[in-house]
Amino acid sequence: MTMTKHRLKTMLTAVALASLVPAGAAAQVSRVFEQYYFPAEHNWEFRDRYRMADRLFNAFDYGHAILYEVLYTQPNAPASRLELEEFNFITRELLPRPPRLPLEEAAIEVAYVKMAPEAKAMFEWAHVLHRQIYDVLAAEDLSLEEKDAEVAAILRYYKSRPEYAFSSKPKNMELMEGQYYSTAFRDKYPKFNGLIWGYHWLQVGLYEPLMVGRNYGERQTGIAATVTRFFQMIEDAPTNMPRVMPMTAAVAPTFTARYTEAAIIFDNLHSMHDVISDILASPEVPREKKREEILRAAARYRDDTSFVMSEAEWRAMTAHMGIQNMGGPPVGFLPDFPVPTLARGAVMAGGDMAGMQHDAPASPAGATPADHSGHAVVPPDTSAHAPGHSPAAGAGSMDQMMEMHRRMMADPVIRERVETDPVLKSLMSNMDSTHTPTASAPDPNARAAMEFVTRLLSDPTIEARIQADPQLRPLWADPAVQQCLATMKRLKASGQPLPSTCPKAMPAAPAHKH
Amino acid sequence: MMTKYFQHRPNVITGVKKVCSAVAASASLLIASGGTVAAQTDYYNLDAGRPVLSEDAYPVEFRAFELQAAPLRLERASGGQYHWSVEPELAWGVLPRLQIEVGFPTVYLDTDADTRKFGLAGIDASFLYNLNAETETLPGMAVAGDIALPVGGFAHASAYPSLKAIMTRTYSFARIHLNGRYTFGSAPGVGDEIGVEELSRWVGSVAVDKTFPLKSMLFVGEVYARQPIESDRDVEWNAAAGIRYQLTPRLALDAGLGKVLVGEENSWHLTFGTAYAFAVRSLMPGT
Repeated sequence: MTMTKHRLKTMLTAVALASLVPAGAAAQVSRVFEQYYFPAEHNWEFRDRYRMADRLFNAFDYGHAILYEVLYTQPNAPASRLELEEFNFITRELLPRPPRLPLEEAAIEVAYVKMAPEAKAMFEWAHVLHRQIYDVLAAEDLSLEEKDAEVAAILRYYKSRPEYAFSSKPKNMELMEGQYYSTAFRDKYPKFNGLIWGYHWLQVGLYEPLMVGRNYGERQTGIAATVTRFFQMIEDAPTNMPRVMPMTAAVAPTFTARYTEAAIIFDNLHSMHDVISDILASPEVPREKKREEILRAAARYRDDTSFVMSEAEWRAMTAHMGIQNMGGPPVGFLPDFPVPTLARGAVMAGGDMAGMQHDAPASPAGATPADHSGHAVVPPDTSAHAPGHSPAAGAGSMDQMMEMHRRMMADPVIRERVETDPVLKSLMSNMDSTHTPTASAPDPNARAAMEFVTRLLSDPTIEARIQADPQLRPLWADPAVQQCLATMKRLKASGQPLPSTCPKAMPAAPAHKH
Repeated sequence: MMTKYFQHRPNVITGVKKVCSAVAASASLLIASGGTVAAQTDYYNLDAGRPVLSEDAYPVEFRAFELQAAPLRLERASGGQYHWSVEPELAWGVLPRLQIEVGFPTVYLDTDADTRKFGLAGIDASFLYNLNAETETLPGMAVAGDIALPVGGFAHASAYPSLKAIMTRTYSFARIHLNGRYTFGSAPGVGDEIGVEELSRWVGSVAVDKTFPLKSMLFVGEVYARQPIESDRDVEWNAAAGIRYQLTPRLALDAGLGKVLVGEENSWHLTFGTAYAFAVRSLMPGT
C-alpha cells in the first residue's frame, strides 16, 4: 500500500513538473476568451435544412486547423506532407463523410493556438458570424426585411468585440500579397492553397443560392448544386480550383449587394487566413517572429485605417480579378468551368495583375516550365529604376496621377495638410514648381514628384478629402491610378527607389520568382 | 461533489426509478426551452464532477448559460450500501473569463425498508475565474471558489468555503489538468449535525484527457488524493475515468466511473449527466 501511495505521489509530481513554464522562456500572457453567439429562433436553421453543406463547414474547420498546425510544427516537412498526405485524407475521406458537428479546433491546432490564441479567436468569431448569417438566410419564416434586421443585429453583436472583429473596411491586396512573406504558402503548396480557396469559394458561394432562390425548393436545389460544384472543383486538383482568392463581391454578388458590410468582413477574414498561412510557411519569418507577424497582421485586419480602400475600389479590384479566376459562379453555372484568364496564384498586390487578360485565357499549365509554383509573378528587376518600369509605359496613369496632384494642391485642406507635414513640405520644396513631369519627359524632378504624390495619396486624411470631392473621386477610383499607387507603395515599402512614371502592367508571361 | 457518507441501505431499484423520473423531467425541460442556442463544443469543457472530479481552467463562454439539469451519481460502499444523488446546476458566463454557478445537490436515501427520504443537501454557490489562456509559455490557469451553504435537511450545520487553483496544459497527444483545493472551517464536532456531502480539507488531482475532435468526443482519466476534513483520518487515493460526448450542438453527455484505491472505504461510483448551454437574447448587447 505504501508503494502504491509512493507511485501515485511520484506520478503527480512528474505531471505537475511537466506543466511548468519552460525554463528561461519569457511569459506570453493571453487573456483571450470565448463568447457565446447571438441567440435567436433561427439558430441552427441552416444545419437543420441543409445538412450536407453544413457538415462541409465542419470539415473545413479541420482543413484550416491541420494546415496551421503542420506549417508551424513541421516547418521542414516535405511539401507532400500537406499536398499529398493531408490533401488526400481531406478530399478522399473527410469531405465525403464530413463531421456532424463543428469541431474544437484547439484540439487539432494545438501548438498554433498556444502561439497565437488571439488570431484563433478572431477566426472563430468570424466563423460564428458566417454560420449565423447562413441561419438567418435559411430561415423560411422570416421575410426579407426581417432577415435584414436579423443580419444587422448579428453584425452589431459581432462588432461588439472590437478586439476580435475584422474591420468592415475593405483591405487592399498589398496587405495580403505585398509583404515580405507573401505567397510563401501558395508557392510551396499550390494544391492545398487551391483547396483553401475552394473552401472560401463555397463559404461565400452558398449565400448566393440562399439569396436568389425564390422559395424553399429553389433554395434546396441551389444549395445542392453549389455543393456539387464544389466537389467538381476539387476533382483533378488543382485544375479547376480558384486561381486567386475568391472575392465575395464576385462569387456572391446578390448577397454582397444586400449585405455589403458582411461581405467585406468575409473577404478580410479569408485574406487573413492566407496571410497567416504565408507567415507560417515563409522561411523569411523565423520561428520566434511568427507570433509577432501574426499579431501585426491581425491588428491591421481589425483596424479601419491601414491598407484600406474604398468600396468602389474593392468592387473594381474584384471585377479585375475576374470570377472566372475564382472558380466561377456558384449559381447558374455551365457544365464546364469557365476558362481562367490568370495564372494560378497570380499576385494582385501592386495592381500588377500579372497575366490578366480578360479576353484571353491563360495557358493551360498556367506557367512556364521554369515556374515550378505555377504563379504569375513580378519579373526580375532589370530596370535601374524599378521592377517593370519602362519610361514609355504607364503614360495614361502617370498623367492621371499628375492631374490628381494638380487638383489636390488646389484644395485648401490638402494644402494645409502638406504645410503641416514636414516630410511632405520638404518633398514639395524639392520639386521644381514650374515643372510638371509627364510620362514622356521623365527626369529627377519627376521622381520627386512621384514620391510626393505617393506619400500624399497614402495619407488617410487626404484620402477622405478626395472621397468627398466629386472631381477628385473619379480620378482616384480609376483602376490605372490605383494600380500605379499600389505599385508605388509596394516599392516604397520595400525600400526601392520610385520610378519617375507609373510602371506598365506586368507582362502575361510569368517568370520564376525564386 | 463527492457524496460518500450514508447511513442507510437504499432500495436500489426504487432509486433508479426516482432518478429516471428526474432525468425525464429534465429532458422535458430542455426540449421545452426553445429560442436558445448552444455552445458547439461543450464536450471539450471539463466541469468538476462531470465526469471526473478535475476540471479545466476555462469557464462557460461569456454570455452563456449552462444547465446541468440532472447530473446523476450512484455510489456503492464496500458494505454494499448505495447512495443516489442529483445536483442540478446552472452556470453563467457573467463576465469575460468569469463564470458563476449555483447547484442544488439533492440526495435520495432509504432510511429503512418503509421510509425513504429525498431532500436538499445544501446549496453550492461558486465562481471560476480564468486568469489566462494557455500559451506556449504558460498553461491555462484559473482560480475558483465555492461555498456550501447549510440549506436543506441533508446539509451540514455550517457553511464551508473552499478555494481552488486549476491549471490546464495541452499537448498534441493529450491535455493535462492539475487541480488543488482547500476547504476552510472546522470539522463538525461531536453531536453536530453532519450532512451527507462529504467534506475534504484538501483535494489534489491530476487528470489526463484525450480528445477525438472529428468525433466530438473526449476520454478522461484522473487520480486524486483527498484529506477528509477530520484531521485524524488518513489521506484517501482515488481513480476515475469517463467520457464526454457532444450529442447535438445543443447537448453534451458525460458518463464516468471511479473507485477508491486507498482509503477507509473501498467504494466505487458511477456518474451520468447532460450539459445544455444557451443564451438569453435580452441580455445581449445591441438588442
